[in-house]
Amino acid sequence: MISRFNAEIGTATLTAGLGLAAVVGALEFGIGWGDAGPEPGAFPFYIGLLVVAASIGNLVQATAGRRGLQSVFLHKEEAKRVASFFVPMLAFVVVARLLGLYVATALYLAFVMRVQGQYRLAISIASGIAAAVIFYFVLEVAFQVPLMKGPLEAALGLY
Amino acid sequence: MENFASLLHGFGVALTTYHVMLMMVGVLLGILVGVLPGLGAPNGVSLLLPLTFTMDPVAAIILLTSMYWGALFGGSTTSILFNIPGEPSSVATTFDGYPMARQGQATQALTLAFLSAGFGALVGVILITVLSTWVAKFALRFSSPEYFAVYFLAFASFIGLGAASPFKTIVSMGLGFAFASVGMDTVSGGLRLTYGFNELLSGISFLIAVIGLFGIGELMLTMEEGLRFDGIRARVRIGDVFRTIATLPRYWVTLLRSSIIGCWMGITPGGPTAASFMSYGLAKRLSRRKEGFGQGEPEGVVAPETADHAAGSSAILPMLALGVPGSATAAVMMGGLMIWGLNPGPMLFVERPDFVWGLIASMYLGNIVAVLMVLATIPLFASILRIPFAIIGPVIVVVCFIGAYTVAGRPFDLWLALAFGVVGYLFKKLDYPIAPLVLAMVLGDKAEDAFRQSMIMSRGSLSIFWSNGLVATLMLIGLALAFGPLLSTALGRLVKPKASSAVA
Repeated sequence: MISRFNAEIGTATLTAGLGLAAVVGALEFGIGWGDAGPEPGAFPFYIGLLVVAASIGNLVQATAGRRGLQSVFLHKEEAKRVASFFVPMLAFVVVARLLGLYVATALYLAFVMRVQGQYRLAISIASGIAAAVIFYFVLEVAFQVPLMKGPLEAALGLY
Repeated sequence: MENFASLLHGFGVALTTYHVMLMMVGVLLGILVGVLPGLGAPNGVSLLLPLTFTMDPVAAIILLTSMYWGALFGGSTTSILFNIPGEPSSVATTFDGYPMARQGQATQALTLAFLSAGFGALVGVILITVLSTWVAKFALRFSSPEYFAVYFLAFASFIGLGAASPFKTIVSMGLGFAFASVGMDTVSGGLRLTYGFNELLSGISFLIAVIGLFGIGELMLTMEEGLRFDGIRARVRIGDVFRTIATLPRYWVTLLRSSIIGCWMGITPGGPTAASFMSYGLAKRLSRRKEGFGQGEPEGVVAPETADHAAGSSAILPMLALGVPGSATAAVMMGGLMIWGLNPGPMLFVERPDFVWGLIASMYLGNIVAVLMVLATIPLFASILRIPFAIIGPVIVVVCFIGAYTVAGRPFDLWLALAFGVVGYLFKKLDYPIAPLVLAMVLGDKAEDAFRQSMIMSRGSLSIFWSNGLVATLMLIGLALAFGPLLSTALGRLVKPKASSAVA
């Protein structure tokens, strides 16, 4: 169980980190005055500083109002639901990188329908494949937009 | 009258069978993304944008704006029938729309919502017709410092007028600028902030950010809440529609007031969401039937809907005439204009009058098409929400990732979209506003260029932002907007130290 206070602190630390990354990255390109006006790093540098400053503002605000932020940010039940959505989505991206977007789409849809929707295996697999085929025709044939493909498409000669 | 002639010319451009067909397709797609959770107007436009790269700009913008109208209508539909706002800007419609539908007045609520929305949009478009040339002519006098001041004004109004904590708005905005500066530096042509990753050489596309923040983030939030649709079956009966139309003039005060609020919030980047809440709040405060609000008061549907659509359409005005979009969706469309090789801003009116007036004329037609289509197809779209989420959810996820891939055909963008999704989820849960981030990503390069060119003009002195009346006025308004609410709260506390701090 995560409290709202912890979530606020965590997010503010994350944004401060991103701001700091911009500051450090910008230093490499010069933040002063060059031959053609301000050097390339100047704008990101000050923007980074602004983000860090505002993040610190958020940290201070969260700490000062700590008592009001003790409400629960994420219940165990909610965390479970988010994870059950997020983990297959993560797997989808990994599979898409390895096997292409069409195969990943079919597998992902079939998996979610079977496991979360409790549909029969045959129906789930058929729907997954049908969706991938529909996407193929809409994108590659109708709009001529190529998607990332993998070994299966290569084997079928769909290039 | 010059505008009127241009508008007639615009109708000549827009009124072709092909364009009207595109409007219908756009509206249908828009209603679809508006109805589906996780797919809203900014996201839908982002997903469709890569498919328009090869189209003629006039046809492409007609398709995208029609989708925008459709999405606004779709969002109100789910608010009324399912108590689930399909768009953040239709949250206020749920307050009275859903109670009305539960009392068996679904047809009345829907008809009122669509008609008042159509009215609001029309007022917005008329405003654009009347003002755009004037604003564009005025803006022709702008040089770099003035442009930077206008961008400053836009972001200052987010800080001042937004409901979120000012620090959170600044963080969101700053991150947007930081993301925009990754990759090629438009002034020197050199690369920066790539941290040695080849994938970052071509920068971070704002489209990926929108798909992640609005699409995937929203879906994660929907999943967390555990999706439950308690839909109300609605069949639109023609008789009821006409009876409701006859009651509309009764609400003329609300219609006018809400249109004005909407137009104001649309032109200044307050956005449709803020406009609809403000309009609802004012309608409630000024109504003679205060106690009816929240229990199915028709005025409570009319007010937010009118303001929402007035803001949605008038947000196009600053985008076209100044190159500063008034809402997240307008920001995405402006990004599209730049991808098609058009440069939004006053010069667009000089260089491409056919495009500008074709677009404005299509906004009149598109809204009429949208009202008719939405009345005809609502039962169909309402039934989409009865498909189990175990099917609809993953399909939306797949559409989002496919959309992210089609932006540039880069596998790395899939990871970026996922990362933005997590950020969007966190930001939404913690009340960080997302629109400033998107706006900053679209405007980042332009704002930075304007700033650097101003600095070159003044040899590094910030005083250039006070150097003439125009730029000084813009900066002062910006500062007043950014710090105004803070000052008025502080003053209020000084004057009345014992009063509670319940300042809206």
